[in-house]
Amino acid sequence: MSEQKTIRLKIRRQDGPNKPFRWEEFEIPYREKLNVISCLMEIQKNPITASGVKTTPVVWECNCLEEVCGACTMNINGQGKQACSALIDQLEQPIVLEPLTKFPIVRDLMIDRQIMFDHLKTVHAWIPIDGTYNLGSGPRMAEVKRQWAYELSKCMTCGCCMEACPQVNPRSKFIGPSAISQVRLFNAHPTGEMNKHERLSALLNEGGIADCGNSQNCVRACPKEIPLTTSLADLNRETNKFAINRWLRK
Amino acid sequence: MSIAQVSNHHFLIRRVHSLLGLVPIGFFLTFHLFLNLTALRGAKQYDLVINTMQSFPGIFIVELIVIFIPIAAHAIYGTWVVYTGQTNVLRYKYARNWFYLIQRISGLYTFVFVITHVYLLRFGEANFANLSEFMSQPLGLSFYVLGVLLAVFHFTNGLWAFAITWGLTVGPHSQRVWLYTLGVIFVLMSVIGMADIFAFLK
Repeated sequence: MSEQKTIRLKIRRQDGPNKPFRWEEFEIPYREKLNVISCLMEIQKNPITASGVKTTPVVWECNCLEEVCGACTMNINGQGKQACSALIDQLEQPIVLEPLTKFPIVRDLMIDRQIMFDHLKTVHAWIPIDGTYNLGSGPRMAEVKRQWAYELSKCMTCGCCMEACPQVNPRSKFIGPSAISQVRLFNAHPTGEMNKHERLSALLNEGGIADCGNSQNCVRACPKEIPLTTSLADLNRETNKFAINRWLRK
Repeated sequence: MSIAQVSNHHFLIRRVHSLLGLVPIGFFLTFHLFLNLTALRGAKQYDLVINTMQSFPGIFIVELIVIFIPIAAHAIYGTWVVYTGQTNVLRYKYARNWFYLIQRISGLYTFVFVITHVYLLRFGEANFANLSEFMSQPLGLSFYVLGVLLAVFHFTNGLWAFAITWGLTVGPHSQRVWLYTLGVIFVLMSVIGMADIFAFLK
């Protein structure tokens, strides 16, 4: 008789923001083509640890289940990635699940990513078109430009780059690669370009572009393969030009 | 959210820090390594060059402005930069991530090395015999070998980041080509540095 195959998971549990953490191990029957989310759902049905102790269901977040929302991002075997596209058949067991470490914890694998949205506000990552009258259609965007700008627009604010960045930590104010890359996206847009100075100006502040440490982990960690280091280098050039030009005209 | 409140001091300080690494510190390091090759021609020649250098009129002012102040500023601010980082090489084992860490370790080591080096030679007595004696001790020798290698690494790897900071190498391809070029420069400068040290071992 063949051996009964199982999936072993080791999950970092924490009941609340200032509560102590503990490790719990789970063992669920093997099925083909499962992902981390389906394992967590299996545990939710019957929350009993591998050693037979009854426990609470594991808390996690997920929405789209197709790697476009970023909500289920967690540390899987030590690397930040989406639980929905993390396939069990490709992972080493026991699969270690931990919450992202760069954000405030809510409970278990659930964290609060608010700071990333605050950073998008800091760098003005939008195109202001509100007004009191119809402004008409905007300028056209060159097709070649649209093609690379589209890659930058794939960012889902998941936090993988923040997790991998050694410059994002409690001792530093670095806003991280994702928000900076959005500056490049909105500055590339023909209408967005009209407010370019506001975004570049925001990047000169503490926590801005100058705090990048060039470890280049971000571009390796990004699940959407956004050329984050190219965005950073490009904006280094743009902010230098902008700062020198502004100072000379003062 | 007002733009008027944004100050650029932070950006300016970081850019000056980056620039100082090359001008004048990097140029001085290169000049220093080349000049010390005169030690290969023996004690007499070396002592003559050092004496000539030290008897230049106003050498102290030049040293203060071109060498001491830039190195002190780069090193002190650099120490703050090291403090604001948090390595994760055990989780993200990429070569560039290791370089990020080694850049910081080599910076701190070079800081300690330069202080000792200046204390012993600039304020002590700088001559061939003095250096030969220091190098004859295994601890002194390894302190110098490591000091030279890490200083050269810090300079060449710093130049890699310098090209990104100033927006010269934007894409991954140009960054890779510049990396290989700097690899060659690292080896060449290390060989010169080791030849400098070897000269005092005779």
